[in-house]
Amino acid sequence: MHNIFKKTAIAGAMCLAAGAALAQGYPEKPIEVIVGYSAGGGTDVMARTAAPFIEKYLGEGASVVVKNVPGASGQIGVTEAANAAPDGYTLGTFNLPGMMARTIDRKADYDRDSFTYLANVVNDPNVIVTSKKSGLDTLDKLLEEAKANPGAITVGMSSLGGDDHFALIKLQNATGTEFTIVPFKGSAPARTALLGGHVAMGILNISEVAEFQDQLNVLGVATKERSQFAPDLPTFQEQGLDLVNGSMRGFIAPAGLPDDVRQKLMNAFSQLSGDQEFLDAMAATANPVEVVIGDDFKQLTSDLYDLAKGVWETTPWN
Amino acid sequence: MPESRKSRLTRPETLTALGIIVVAAGFLVPTSDLRAISALLPAVMLIGLIVLSSLLLLADQRRAGEGVPATPMTQSPKRVIGAFLLIVAYALATDFIGFYVSTAVTIPLVAWIFGYRSPLGLLIATVIVVGTIWAIFDFGMSQDFPTGRLLGR
Amino acid sequence: MYNDLLHALPNVFALTNFIAVVIGVIAGIVVGAMPGLSATMAISVLVPFTFGLEPLVALGLMAGIYNGAMYGGAIPAVLLRIPGTPAAVATTFDGYPMAQRGEGGFALQVAVVSSSIGGIASAFALMLLAPPLSRVTLLFGPSEVFWVAVFGLASIIFLLGGNPVKGLISACFGVFVSVIGSDPIFGNDRFTFGRLEMLDGINIVILLVGLYALPPVIDLLETPLKTDGVNSSKLGTESIWKALPRMKSYWKTWLRGSLIGIWIGILPGAGGSMAAFMSYNEARRTSKTPETWGEGEPEGVAAAEVANNADTASALIPALTLGIPGTAVAAVMLGGLLVHGLQPGPMLFRDNPDIVFGFMWQFLFGAILLVLLGGSLATNSFARLLNLPRPLLGAVIIVLMLIGVYTIHGRMFDVYLMLGFGAIGWVMDRLKFPLPPVVLGLILGGFAEENLRLALRIGRGDPMILFQNTTSLILVALTIAVIVGPTLKRRYFDSRMKM
Repeated sequence: MHNIFKKTAIAGAMCLAAGAALAQGYPEKPIEVIVGYSAGGGTDVMARTAAPFIEKYLGEGASVVVKNVPGASGQIGVTEAANAAPDGYTLGTFNLPGMMARTIDRKADYDRDSFTYLANVVNDPNVIVTSKKSGLDTLDKLLEEAKANPGAITVGMSSLGGDDHFALIKLQNATGTEFTIVPFKGSAPARTALLGGHVAMGILNISEVAEFQDQLNVLGVATKERSQFAPDLPTFQEQGLDLVNGSMRGFIAPAGLPDDVRQKLMNAFSQLSGDQEFLDAMAATANPVEVVIGDDFKQLTSDLYDLAKGVWETTPWN
Repeated sequence: MPESRKSRLTRPETLTALGIIVVAAGFLVPTSDLRAISALLPAVMLIGLIVLSSLLLLADQRRAGEGVPATPMTQSPKRVIGAFLLIVAYALATDFIGFYVSTAVTIPLVAWIFGYRSPLGLLIATVIVVGTIWAIFDFGMSQDFPTGRLLGR
Repeated sequence: MYNDLLHALPNVFALTNFIAVVIGVIAGIVVGAMPGLSATMAISVLVPFTFGLEPLVALGLMAGIYNGAMYGGAIPAVLLRIPGTPAAVATTFDGYPMAQRGEGGFALQVAVVSSSIGGIASAFALMLLAPPLSRVTLLFGPSEVFWVAVFGLASIIFLLGGNPVKGLISACFGVFVSVIGSDPIFGNDRFTFGRLEMLDGINIVILLVGLYALPPVIDLLETPLKTDGVNSSKLGTESIWKALPRMKSYWKTWLRGSLIGIWIGILPGAGGSMAAFMSYNEARRTSKTPETWGEGEPEGVAAAEVANNADTASALIPALTLGIPGTAVAAVMLGGLLVHGLQPGPMLFRDNPDIVFGFMWQFLFGAILLVLLGGSLATNSFARLLNLPRPLLGAVIIVLMLIGVYTIHGRMFDVYLMLGFGAIGWVMDRLKFPLPPVVLGLILGGFAEENLRLALRIGRGDPMILFQNTTSLILVALTIAVIVGPTLKRRYFDSRMKM
């Protein structure tokens, strides 16, 4: 109760002040980036790696501070970011399709209109891998087996309602096949089960299998063009299967950010993709970069929401 | 001499067993909304708690019937309740008026109420504890403690 | 590979890298010794800072903290019956009775020597056997891990205490708490009442601080003697060189505990407390005088402490090779590695040998340093803290509890949750409900459920999947042996007596 009251009061005061005071000197105090995961997680490392570069491109002695608000797969943090004052001093990290899927499969105190979309920075495409023990070492063999015995192939992946799950649903719809989902808690346990041959097939992300290419059959990458992360892996489109999907991480601000602040931030983010030092730092921490700015990011989010909503209406996963 | 009906029901174990049964039964209600496989383990555990607590209740009542007096949970209930309330108050104070203020008040207050009353000792202890926490967590590790919801940031 | 190992050594002895380990061990002992503060919390607070540090400095600090905290947790476990870390629960069984007898000093010496031995064994396992042991991890799919969890749960029957009904109530309570949060397969909420804070389940530290630290604090305030005359003033400490010969006979326990700790470490998910419980049970089962266990048997302290340190470095084997941490602390450390661009996987050892093998050496030196730093320095100074007036000690522990629980996720909700468990813990303590079954139930209940359901999905609903391979069958046999073994043994002896 107190909280809501206080927040409205602050938000109101901020809105009044925003137009006049913030225009010139932004940023004049540290910018806080709320990360919905613990320190050391993939999203946290992305935020911390990007922070000095954002400072550099914002100029004027800007300082970016990462604040971890872990819990509920990032939902607690993103809710806090959505409800913060839209003054440009509180930003948040944003994960797709997870953050949108949570508004569908669970009660969430935000929706797709709660944010000012700044930039998506990471796009980690899905890959389909099979266990060496399964003998299904090409996409054709996999699909043949899946058609012959619907449901016989077990698919290890991280939890339902995530990017892996949507990739599988796209695969099933595109090929008219049926698989048995085995949702592990996270990708690393799923990958381990694949390495041990306990499940036949897995849907993971390219950064998660890059180090394990010798121990697994990687059948293809769900991108339009080959990923720079593993250029020798063919895409699914090359193999005649229209499957593009991935896990995305970016930055958002609360809705209602003043235009000049938004412009300034988007400007800074858009320079990231041209910075070789930044690209190297991201590659070293398993974050394939694909920068999508502003309205395009918003459109991307909206599309993913519609996809998730459609899936939920036909086959709810919980 | 058998105990009166009222004191038979207020034996600590009897009360606890009744409490567990009521709470476990309460938790059983939401299991009906879950899918069967999802509800299985929690429901089994809750039913287990109810059955076991009933056994506990029966055993305790049998002892009561035999006239075995119940061992009291504490010799000084006032002190126990007071201590617990103080700890809760400390948590609430941290939440609403901030960590450092509450801590600086709570340490001497608790120690004083429960019998350690040397002013110098209290002062030194408070300064050392609060100072060390500040130096390590705030200064060293830039951990933010609650600053108090009432005071804003 | 062994070449790389030697090659990494000089760098470990670079001054800053070595100092990092020393500071880490000391910090770890202190953190472990503070009721309420845990190793997981200390390392997660540290991770954001490691961005600015050299890799080996950062990793040295973490290795030191991990080793130090696993021993540090024994200090309040022995002196106050408050386990300083989750893994020190089993240390309270015999450590506290020893302290009450005036042998607290010896208990702590046994703890530090055992911790160190466990840590060294584990570090060697990590250094020399990481690749083959990671293949052992791969043998354990969901159905095998399910049986490991069942095996662990079976050992609850030895922890039930005098009144089995109360023990089982404790166990059911623990398992029930473990299912709170999102469903492991479907992700729907179970008993969270719409609170996002509960979706990830109840963190073990919250439960443990509530159940184990709050009741003793209330005791401290309830009966305010001037100082705690029984167990602090007479620690009975003697020189560690005099104490060592008394520990000679524990070598079997040390060996067994080390192997159990290493084994539990390479299996994802269970962690140090399970290792300590299992080592304790096994040591008691094979002891010639099982009746003295729980009454202050030093070997019990040795069994628990050797195992909870033996899973430190070995928990990093699956973490480094497969990306799946063996314990909660290893999970946080994995984050610290990622920060430095060290991605788990087979390439890690090839791409960054100096750092990875250096990190392993740091584990070894951390374990060795433990005896030197923990032996005299820590033991004596912490024992002196107990000479504080009891109300003051109680007040300070209250503050530490709040800090320890708050910093896990940075939210007050967890503190209120901890106070709730504290109230339950106080009632349980006074009515003599045993607490260890709650802890084991919480650690293994949800874990068993998750793996059972994963296994059933893999088998497409056919329960026979649980019995389809040798590893599973061996585990089933072991579980049956643990449950029926003692009864058979008693029957056998009884029948011999009659003859």
